[in-house]
Amino acid sequence: MRTSTPSFSDIIKNPIATIIILLAISLSFLFLPLKLSSRIKMTCVVPVRPLQWATCFCSNSANNFLDKVFSGWRDAHVKKELEEQVFQFKNKILEQQDTIYKLQSKLYTLSKFQAENKSKTRPIPADIIGYDSLTFRKSITVNAGSKQGVKSNDIVVSNNALVGKVVSVSGGSSVVQLITDPASRIPGRVLQTREQVIIEGNATGFCQLKYVPRWAKLKKGDDIISSDIGGFYPPSLPVATVVEAEIKSGALFQSVKVLPKVNISKIEQVLIIIN
Amino acid sequence: MRWFTFFCILLGISLFQSTLMNWINIGSAAPDLYFPLVIFYSFLADIKRNTITNWFVGMSKDLFSEGSFGINSVFFVAVGFFVWSIRGMLFRGHLVTQVLVTFIFSCIYNILYAVHATLSFHSLSLSATIWTIFTCSLYTAMIVPVLFWMFGKLQPTQQSFSQ
Repeated sequence: MRTSTPSFSDIIKNPIATIIILLAISLSFLFLPLKLSSRIKMTCVVPVRPLQWATCFCSNSANNFLDKVFSGWRDAHVKKELEEQVFQFKNKILEQQDTIYKLQSKLYTLSKFQAENKSKTRPIPADIIGYDSLTFRKSITVNAGSKQGVKSNDIVVSNNALVGKVVSVSGGSSVVQLITDPASRIPGRVLQTREQVIIEGNATGFCQLKYVPRWAKLKKGDDIISSDIGGFYPPSLPVATVVEAEIKSGALFQSVKVLPKVNISKIEQVLIIIN
Repeated sequence: MRWFTFFCILLGISLFQSTLMNWINIGSAAPDLYFPLVIFYSFLADIKRNTITNWFVGMSKDLFSEGSFGINSVFFVAVGFFVWSIRGMLFRGHLVTQVLVTFIFSCIYNILYAVHATLSFHSLSLSATIWTIFTCSLYTAMIVPVLFWMFGKLQPTQQSFSQ
């Protein structure tokens, strides 16, 4: 009796074989080197980036529009007749206002940064076009990539405060790991006491400070700045503000909760600092 | 089942999840729009289609997030297989079942991912993580009626629930 070898289509028809094949593909992706898997991800998502940009643009425009509508309604009780005229006028020039506001914001940030940082670095303005879809990871996608000169590990700032660093780059977009990401570790210093600390993300809106000695006198409102130890981050860049410092009995170090200077949900543009 | 419709739904969810979440976040609680899709197809489709759709959903989530590439597809295929294997014991056409199953499995998935993140980075605080898992899973479960209604309208094979 002869038995024939099952063909590929026979294997595919078997559900268990399908599960095994798909899991094997996923697991092989998991064990790929980080650079290669990042490259695959960035390449696969390239066709969707324009859609992401368009969705984000519409969202921001709608947000601005609603803000203006609500502010109009608030003031309507006081100056109803005047507000009606202004509202009509605002609606007509809303699009132009939005564009002007964005350009002014970019120009202001750029000028401010250049005035305060006279070094060999070159800032590139970029718009945020996407956010991380995972609960326990914190990253953003911006519309500047290798075509604009962005490289992995470039520093990202907003209003002169640290936002994060670039982790993956494609032609027209980059993924920025935020300081609140659990994988983020930034060498820092307490501005007032000069204590050296490590700023670590924990996937919430806050960060925590590691290795703060028990004797360090930290109080609410103290500023945390970046440190050039390790040569990776520029020094003296504002990072966060102390919210809560607690000394637990038996612990070697203090438990310190800090709030990042930049509220990522409130900004639309960032600056990527290119060396 | 229409594959074109499935990929359109997946693209829509990916775009919404990666751009417009600021509109529907409540504090730190953000719903996971991918997860109801996994539960929907686990309830609706046969084992083979269920596996393939869940794999694509997981890969899509991996593509739009920072972190290990492939981890979500493994989790989603595993969750989908488990839900599919117990669906005979559940009254899967009922809204309460759909909400409860989504909540429970979303909690399990988030716990698994939190364990993976903790092992990788050693930086998640326990109390904050438990709170995030609870609020995100609850929010995800709360939007199930709307999402299942939409998926049911888009996928014409909804009568499979009653089989």
